[in-house]
This record gives sequence, C-alpha cells and structure tokens, in this order.
Amino acid sequence: MVESEAGSKKPVKKRIWKGRPTGRWITARKVAQYASLSAFLLFFVLSRRGGWPGDLVNIPMRLDPLLMFTHLLSSRTFLLGSTLALLVILMTVVFGRAWCGWICPLGTTLDIFSLRRWRGKRLPPQEGWRKLKYALLLTTLVAALLGNLTLLVFDPLTIFFRSLTVAIWPAINQIITALEGLLFQAPILTGPVSTFDQWIRPSVFSTEPLYYRETLLFASIFLGVIGLNLFAPRFWCRYLCPLGGLLGLISKFALLRREVGEECKGCSMCTNVCPTGTIDPDKGYASDPSECTMCLDCLETCPRSLISFSPRVSVAGWNEYDPGRRDALMAIGTAVAGIAMLRSNWLAKREPSHLLRPPGAREANPDVVAFTKCIRCSECMRACPTSALQPSVFEAGLEGVWTPLLVPRIGYCDYSCNACGQVCPVQAIPPLSLEEKRQQILGKAYINQSRCIAWSDHRDCIVCEEMCPVSDKAIQLEEAQVWGADHSQVTVKLPHVLRERCIGCGICEYKCPVNGEAAIRVFVPETAVSF
Amino acid sequence: MTQLSRRAFLRMLAVGTGAITLEQFLAACGVKPPSSVAPTSTLSQLPTVTPGEASSPTATPSGAAESPTALPPGAPDLVVARGGDPETIVRRALAAFGGIEKFVPKDASVIIKPNICVAYHTYEYAATTNPWVVGALVKSCLEAGARSVQVMDFPFGGSPEEAYAISGISEQVKAAGGEMVYMTRFKYVSADIPQGIDLKKTKIFGDVMKADVLIDVPIAKHHNLARLTLGMKNLMGLIQDRSSIHANIGQRLADLTSLFRPTLTVVDAVRILVDNGPTGGNLSDVKTMDTVIVSPDIVAADSYATTLFGLRPEDIAHIPAATAMGLGRSDLQNLKIEEIAA
Repeated sequence: MVESEAGSKKPVKKRIWKGRPTGRWITARKVAQYASLSAFLLFFVLSRRGGWPGDLVNIPMRLDPLLMFTHLLSSRTFLLGSTLALLVILMTVVFGRAWCGWICPLGTTLDIFSLRRWRGKRLPPQEGWRKLKYALLLTTLVAALLGNLTLLVFDPLTIFFRSLTVAIWPAINQIITALEGLLFQAPILTGPVSTFDQWIRPSVFSTEPLYYRETLLFASIFLGVIGLNLFAPRFWCRYLCPLGGLLGLISKFALLRREVGEECKGCSMCTNVCPTGTIDPDKGYASDPSECTMCLDCLETCPRSLISFSPRVSVAGWNEYDPGRRDALMAIGTAVAGIAMLRSNWLAKREPSHLLRPPGAREANPDVVAFTKCIRCSECMRACPTSALQPSVFEAGLEGVWTPLLVPRIGYCDYSCNACGQVCPVQAIPPLSLEEKRQQILGKAYINQSRCIAWSDHRDCIVCEEMCPVSDKAIQLEEAQVWGADHSQVTVKLPHVLRERCIGCGICEYKCPVNGEAAIRVFVPETAVSF
Repeated sequence: MTQLSRRAFLRMLAVGTGAITLEQFLAACGVKPPSSVAPTSTLSQLPTVTPGEASSPTATPSGAAESPTALPPGAPDLVVARGGDPETIVRRALAAFGGIEKFVPKDASVIIKPNICVAYHTYEYAATTNPWVVGALVKSCLEAGARSVQVMDFPFGGSPEEAYAISGISEQVKAAGGEMVYMTRFKYVSADIPQGIDLKKTKIFGDVMKADVLIDVPIAKHHNLARLTLGMKNLMGLIQDRSSIHANIGQRLADLTSLFRPTLTVVDAVRILVDNGPTGGNLSDVKTMDTVIVSPDIVAADSYATTLFGLRPEDIAHIPAATAMGLGRSDLQNLKIEEIAA
C-alpha cells in the first residue's frame, strides 16, 4: 500500500524543512486536512437559517461515532441518520486513526497552531497520561448507558463547533463590521465596501450582530486546548480526546500497519518527528496503532526509507497505558457516583422557572433539566437567527451544561423560523414543520407591573402588544383611567397577557424598552409568578 | 532575492495604516458628513425637480403650485386609484400626475421603502406591502431612466432575508430589475433633525440621505399606539432606535418626517389590515380595497388613508403634528384629489 520511494535504501537528505518533514504523502495529508477543515467550515457557515437543509449541514455531527453511539446508548432510539458514523468506523478499521490525522477539524487546528517554537525542547508528560482519554471515554460510555450525555462536552467536534458558534464567528463578525465602518468613510471605498457587504451578508455573516453570553469562557476553553500544545504536540489528541480514545481502541484491529525495516540504524529521526510521540526506540521503533494518527511524517523522514505501511490482519499489543479491567471498574464507579450526585441536585426536583428550552424540546426530552437527548453539538445555536439559543452555563446545573437555553432578553424565538429542529442531528429538538412549531408553548409571559412603563409610569408604550406575533394577540390593551401621583387623571393603555394565547416566543421580553431586566418576562409553562 | 524582514514588513504595515487613516481624515475634511446634508439639497441640483422649499416650517403651501415638486399647473395634490390588479392601479395613479418622470429625474438614484416589518406571513395577510405595488414602482422608475432602484426595510420580527423572501417583495423587485438591499449596521449615521421639535437627533440609514429620490410605500394597517401605520410611521424603518419614537409618537413621527421628506408617498391599500396589526396573521382581519393612494405630500396621503378605516386625519396624532410643522396638508376638503376608478 503506502510505501516510500521504491527500492532506494540510500540515505536521502533534504526531507526536512524548518524542522518539519516534507514529501508527497505529507502534501497529500495536508491537502486532505485543509480540504476537510474547509468543508467543516462550509457546513458551519451554511448551517445558519436560510443556508443548506438541516440534514445536510449536520453531517459533521453524524460522522462522529462517539456522538452517535453514546446517543444510541442513552436514548435507546435508533436514528437512521446516525449510520453515517459507520463510515468513520470503517475508515478506522482500515486506516487506523486517520480521522485524527487527516480529517478532524480540531486536530487540523492543533497542527496549524502547533506552538512548536514556544514549546522548545520541553519533554512531554509520562506515557501514563495517555490513559486519561480512555478513562474519559469509558466514563462517557457508562454515563450514556445510564442516560446521561454531559461528558460529550469533551467531544472534539462539539468543542470545535461550539467555540466557533459562540466565540470565534461572532468575534470575526465584529471585526469585519468595524473594518467596514472604517473603510466606508473613505469616498473611493464606499462602493466596494457596500458591494462586499451585500456579498457576505447574510450569506456568511448575519446582518445584525449576534450576541452570546460567556464568550470569553468559550474562547478560553478553545485557546486552552490549543495552549496544551505547549506541553506536547497534539497534547489534546494524545492524552484527552475521548473520540481519539474510541478510534484508538478500534485501531487495535486496523488493517494498515506501520512497519520498520530490519536495516534500521536507529537514528531516531522518526521518534523525534512523530507528533503523538508513539515511536519507541526501545521497542525497535515500533509504534502503537492506537496512538498513531497516520500522519506519515515518519515515512517521509526516514533517511533510509525503511518505514512502510502495509495491510496485515492482527491485533495490536496492549500497552501499560491502555485501559484494563481496573480502569473499566473505575469508569463505572465514577459514572455511577457522578450521576447519582447530579440527580441528587435540587435542580432535579425543582425546575428553574427561566429554563426555557427550544421549541418542542421540552416534550422530546424526558428530563428537561438534564436535557437527556442532547449531544451538546450547538448546531441549534448556530442555526438560530436571533441568537436566542444560548449554551447554558449554570442554569441547568452541571448535568445540563452547554445544552441550549432560550434567553429572550438576548433573542426571541422567530415566529417564521423552525431551523433548530431541522438541524438537530439527534432530534433532541424535534424536526417540526413551521405550522407545528408555531403551536409549541415555550413558556408564558408575565408582566412585572412595577417595572412596566404603562403600569407604573402611566405612559403609553404598547411595544409588547405591537410585537406579539400570534393572532389574535396574546397581549391585549386595556384603556384605563388612572390617577397620577399629582392627582391628575390620565388615560393609559395597560397591557395584559392572555395566557391561553401566549406561546412564550419571548419577543415581548426581547423588545421591552425598559433597561436591564424586562418588564415582561417569559417563564417556563406552569410557573405561577410573583415578582 | 532579498527577503522581507519582519521589521520591514511592520514598517510597511504602519505606513499603509497611516495612509488609510490620513485618507479618512482628508475625506472627513473634504466632504460634509451625511448628517449635515439637508435631505432636499441633492434634489436641487437635479433637473426637472425644483427644490423642496416648502419644507421650511413657516411656508405652508396652500395651493398645488407650491407643492414640493414641479408638477404642471392643474396637477392633482393626491390621486386615489381603485380597482384592477395592483400594478395597473399604481400605473393609472402615476399617469394622473403625468407619469413617475415628474418625480424621478433621469439618472436618479432611487430608494423605495416598503413596509416589510415581519417575516411571518405572505402578502395576503396584509402585514407587509403588496409586492406588485413595489414591483410596479421599480419598473416605472427604471422606465423613467433611474440609474438605480434600491428597495429596503429592516423588519422587527424575523431576519431581513426571510422577510424579503416571504413578503414576496424580493421576487417582484428582482423581476422588475431593482435591487434588494440589506440595511447593514455600519451604514447608520447620526443625523441632526434641524426642524425637530421633540426629536433632535437620531441614527439613520445613511444611504437614504445620499439617494436622489425616496419613495415611501407603506401598507395601510392597524397599529395600537399610532392607531394606524401609514406613510409617516413607515419611515421609522429607516432609523436604528425605534423605541425612542414610542415615547411621544405623534410629535416624533412628524419630526422624523421633516428629516426624510420622501419625494413620493404611495399608500398600498390593496389589502388593508384592520385589527391585530402591525403583525397580522388572521385573514379575517384583512379587507380587500384594491386601492392605491399617491401623493408627493406625505401628510395628505396619510390623511386620505385614514378615511379608508372610517377615521379622520386628526384621529392620528402624527398628522396634526406634521400639519402644524408645515410638512404637508391634511385639509382633505381643500385638496385637489383625483379619483380614478377601474
């Protein structure tokens, strides 16, 4: 199969450029990496509402065997769309962890920002650290079996897409808007900037800026994963990535195996160049298929071209850091104890009154707080045109961390939109038609009369009534004669919510002109409210 | 080959940035900022249209001859056309003025502002302006030799791209050869309202002031605060901070009108929404009128439109306010109104 330049066993130089190996195979790998990164970005850009159909743009998530398998374990429902993940499993059975080296967008990002220069000659952590990813994987799997998907926040695709959605893309949008505003001032650039703007909006960036909470937190997590490169190349992929762990275990059976020729003189160049540090000089420069990302750096580095990758049916040996019975027991213990504690949290008993969920999700998820079907991929937040859907941080407790939350003060549920249910790869948000979605009760609006302009200041406002999208309007105005503080009588239109008509879309709360907390707020259904 | 050192690169970057900054500075010195450009000043440089001198608050016009555009003597103040398909109604109404050429000079840049306030419903629900009315105006402008016709609004419910599509306006405008423009954030500029009584300053979509012609195309519909939303209320779509208008809607809408002074107001009353406005959503609230009201006087157009709802001009707070400011006329009995039936 894959072999370096045939036959020639003479030492060949000039394969190292700026400390990195070069060669045909490496070029091929890099092309594949950049192509798939571009494809993932394209899927990301097009998963906004008005882009491509949901079933197409959520392909990245459906390719991920960890997400699809844990969802199957947890929900015990089989989704036909999830079979796409078999492609990646099949690829792994043939090529080993090629997903990590050739396709994974987070892996490519870690290669681009390898921080090699800053890392210097620092030695990587002990081999035992490799166990961490298996521990995380096993705990994730056991937790999934017990109906909990919280640990999927560590899946590389969810990390990548969440960071992009919540932090990176909005920031790029802000920068571009600022630049456009600056360049637009120059008379000669007015035309080009206008044309450019109509070209990128709304197809790539939204016309109005989108806002997210805790953007710095999410940016820090992403930068942190990159920053780990300071300790070892692809630190994340070596020691932490649970998907890498899963693909690593499958790779034990992979068909394509790395072999080192007998004429090896032990120059250790391959050991030095290996990004996952799995080429062991003490074992005759053999590598662990579970750790190898098939990057082929060693193949192109070897001065004698002694390294080859050829098909062989075998099971790779077990290493000390590979998971054993003890680790499996530990994972079961951790998962059981962890979930038991999460379920003892008071949130599991009393649902918070502001825990608004995307349309239809309340009914689709057996436990609203834990949001049991959600794989934390943040596709819905990306699709939401008003950025009403935000990743929860503390609202749903630790168990529901980073599940989608509807925050009306940041955005409202657009009456003309059903995008979140269309893009959700696992139907945690059901794929409702627009007509069905309009019937969903997300919550109910309540007026805080002590903050309301009309109720407390006796001035006409009516914004909430004006905005209400349902017909007949769920907010009705009562024309009332009221006594002002100065004993004068004024006529004012006082808003009332007709609860049975309210669908809780939150546009009233979003548009309420009162600063700070709105004078009208949406609470989860069945919440009696007193302010 | 000499290699570019990092230092040299940074130096070049600094020089480039400096040049852009300098250009900006010079540009700012050389050209009046958009906020200080009076809305009618661009018109005055164009042929066939006399400057809208009637905009001064004291000189309230009392006859057709003093109306803001150079219409032939005997031209009506306002035209109401009824019956037939929307495009025909619009064309007949414009013909009564002698064609849209009377308002749109050759090579003019035109902005048409329909009401596309939500992305919720199709045009049948009468929450957004009739797409064929807008299409007919785009065609007429281009036939009159307009250089460009841009159509825009910023919806409050749903995104612009959805609203443009669902309203059907995007399709008709593109078919007619016009351009749908997204009102992007950085193009808003702070503008003084010299004539403003209550509202003195607001952020507006800057391109509107640069355009030669502004055509205001509201749909006549119910609104609980303003009672009706018509031409003057439709101008709210051109500013950024809309909640500031609600506080004193009558006077502030009149102030806003004094800033924009649309060249022509075309009230779409093909289908009107009589309740649950401005969002609509119930066909039983929609009344088919097959009517279009056209006037260069926005106050007159709004005043006449109130009668379609069984109201009088003085029932809508911003109409008396605008009349008092001399922005137009609401004395329907003295206006020269031409009614055209099918």
